[in-house]
Amino acid sequence: MNVGFGQAWRQRIVKNQWFFLLLVVIALSVIATIVNPRYFTLRNLRNLLDQISVLGLLACGATILIISGNFDISVGANLGLSACVIGLLIGIGVPPAVSGAIGILVAVAGSAFIGGAALLFRAPSFIISLAGISVFQGIALALTGGTLQTIYGEYEALGSTRFFGVLPLLFVIGLMGYFLVHFILTKTQLGRRVYAIGDNKRAAFLAGIHVTKNTMVFFLLNGFFVGCAALLMIARVGAAQPSTGAGMELQAIGSVVIGGAPMTGGRGSILGTFFGVLLWGVVANSLNMMRVNPYFQQVTIGLLIIVAVAVSSLRSRAEGKL
Amino acid sequence: MSGASKRFGETQALDNVSLELASNEVHCLVGENGAGKSTLIKILAGAENPDAGTITISGRRYANLEPDTAMELGIATIYQDVELISSLTVAENIFLGREIRRFGGSIIDFKKQEQDARLLMDGLNISIPEWAIVDTLSPADQQTLQIVKAMGRDARIMIMDEPTSSLGLQEARALMKLIRDLRDRGIGIIYISHHLEEVFEIGDRITILKDGRVVKTVDRGDATQQEVTTAMVGRESPAFHNRSEIRRGSEVVQAEGLSKDGMFSDCSFQVRAGEILGIGGLVGSGRSELVRVLFGDMFPDSGQIMLRGEPYVPVSPKDAIHHGIAYVGEDRHIQGLFPGRPVLENVSVIHNESSFMLNHRVEAQLAFEATGQMNMVMAGLSQRAGSLSGGNQQKAIIARWLLAEFDLLILDEPTKGVDVGAKSQIYQIMDHLVEEGKAIIMVSSDMPELISMSDRIAVMRRGRIVRVIDSKDADEQQLVNEYLGLTGAEENER
Repeated sequence: MNVGFGQAWRQRIVKNQWFFLLLVVIALSVIATIVNPRYFTLRNLRNLLDQISVLGLLACGATILIISGNFDISVGANLGLSACVIGLLIGIGVPPAVSGAIGILVAVAGSAFIGGAALLFRAPSFIISLAGISVFQGIALALTGGTLQTIYGEYEALGSTRFFGVLPLLFVIGLMGYFLVHFILTKTQLGRRVYAIGDNKRAAFLAGIHVTKNTMVFFLLNGFFVGCAALLMIARVGAAQPSTGAGMELQAIGSVVIGGAPMTGGRGSILGTFFGVLLWGVVANSLNMMRVNPYFQQVTIGLLIIVAVAVSSLRSRAEGKL
Repeated sequence: MSGASKRFGETQALDNVSLELASNEVHCLVGENGAGKSTLIKILAGAENPDAGTITISGRRYANLEPDTAMELGIATIYQDVELISSLTVAENIFLGREIRRFGGSIIDFKKQEQDARLLMDGLNISIPEWAIVDTLSPADQQTLQIVKAMGRDARIMIMDEPTSSLGLQEARALMKLIRDLRDRGIGIIYISHHLEEVFEIGDRITILKDGRVVKTVDRGDATQQEVTTAMVGRESPAFHNRSEIRRGSEVVQAEGLSKDGMFSDCSFQVRAGEILGIGGLVGSGRSELVRVLFGDMFPDSGQIMLRGEPYVPVSPKDAIHHGIAYVGEDRHIQGLFPGRPVLENVSVIHNESSFMLNHRVEAQLAFEATGQMNMVMAGLSQRAGSLSGGNQQKAIIARWLLAEFDLLILDEPTKGVDVGAKSQIYQIMDHLVEEGKAIIMVSSDMPELISMSDRIAVMRRGRIVRVIDSKDADEQQLVNEYLGLTGAEENER
């Protein structure tokens, strides 16, 4: 076994995980097109972009949290609650714009609750947010009585507008989320704090960074993205129920991890997350197009995360040797 | 043990060390931090393998020992930190791993264990109740219990590493008595301690280690404490740095009566612009905690600080930085470095905190200049800080303060674990900073550094500043005496 070659190969992945992801996306697309030519049609690609816009916004928030060494696995339930609130408000005649704004505030409050509790009790946000799932779902169930809340096509313009007949408005909004996070992470000191706190919390504190306050800001940003995602979700689907968004936390965190951010924090980029989300969408969509049994789709997606974690671990080991 | 050597990377931890232990003697090992004592113990306990040398026990010769062979041979090591399971009883701890069983081995015979534990302890004149939960015992009893545990395993060689470090005077005396008892029963004891009084009280022979080598082995009667300390610290070629003469300016910081329960008490000191105040003392004497007060990272129970003549009560490091205080902690991996981030971000972090938006061009320019000033060796500003050498990591952390405005720089062990080149670089920067009129407080365990870099040296012992010495009048011998509180030093206390 040629050790030098192995290291070079590893280093290339280290340097360009997103490039690697792009290759996988292309390869999967080629296979899917061969199996089912309908994969590579405007209609399906449009669908695909639609599907990943909500996930993209959730992954944007998760990127900030994971790089800073935090976790919020309640984003799916939080999204469900926020979407239900929007549905309920529209149902009683509140103007859609106001309903949407309130929905976003609900999600911000939900994420602030998770972050605040984690900071207050110095508990891992992972555990706090695990409990948060139950809290948010419970509130959503109580508010709706478990029933479906339709919005009578109120956000039709948001949900079905397509630029040039192909680029969904939803996807464009999702893209704006990536750009916002990219801007924060690379152009502002707030972004540097995300990395610094995730890499070495104690050193960040001693360098004059207010760790508690900034961590709270990260959670507020996360809540904002969850709220926007809820709005997009209800616009796309036209209705909400307490189980809306359930399981999406796995996809969001999975996308960030596939994108190359280690679970220990301190590293990662939004470009990685973007391709992580894209890969996620392509896998789900192409499995569908190849008529793979939905249950096996779940298995595939689970295995995908394991592969991503393995690559991520390989990365840090390779970097340890540099 | 003869001719043992051990190398860790570039450090020769042990160099051809030979040591002899008779079956009924207490053999004391003394030496500064890093002299090689711990490595020596680890080799005897089988936790490390020597690169060269042999160990001969009762006539049998071994190239190295494994932990289980060491145990079988009756070598027991009692480390500084008590290694007991605190939720179990005394008897259960004594029989841990070799429980007495009945009914064919499936059930532990707790009753028999307690009886045997009682017999064992009675034989040693120890009155700890065998049924007590270890958690409820005093530190002294826990320390004693470790010895009992070793005796229960028929230990014939006992290695004790600073056994009295957490004990009071009375308790330490009781332990000494127990050790003498053990010796009279024919057990060989290797005893490691910083407290020379103890060493001279209990040791039959004393071996002095320095920089991984045996300086000499003496019989207790043939040496004085003075001779031993001289041998411990004596240096062939002192790594002294020549400081330039600087005119001191006005007072920057004045601390009055700072106290914090269990850490330091009634500490007063002042530093002027253009001055380096060294703080010396043993590890654990409260030095690091005291300076963290100035940086808003530790809050005193009482006392005041005046900064440039104004009352100063820092609430956080952020606050302290705004007040013009810079701090480099003693453990760069925990307190300073962002190992996964590029050098650029490590160096510019303080500077960038002043504005929300980053200016990449200015930031890179400033970082380039600061790393150049520190003479940092690196692949570039984008190299991950974690992959730099220790000296360059330390330089990067100091460099970040060069991009900030400050009047007082606090350095805690600024050259710990850095190579000679980086060391002199750091000294030059310190020199340069005081020339610019900054004040520096430097905590250090490195005596030549303390003496040559400081203008004055405050000696801390057990949380108190016992003396402030002008560094021109200081020598290593005197400092060690002050650290340990040896006879002669007490009268000079303020």
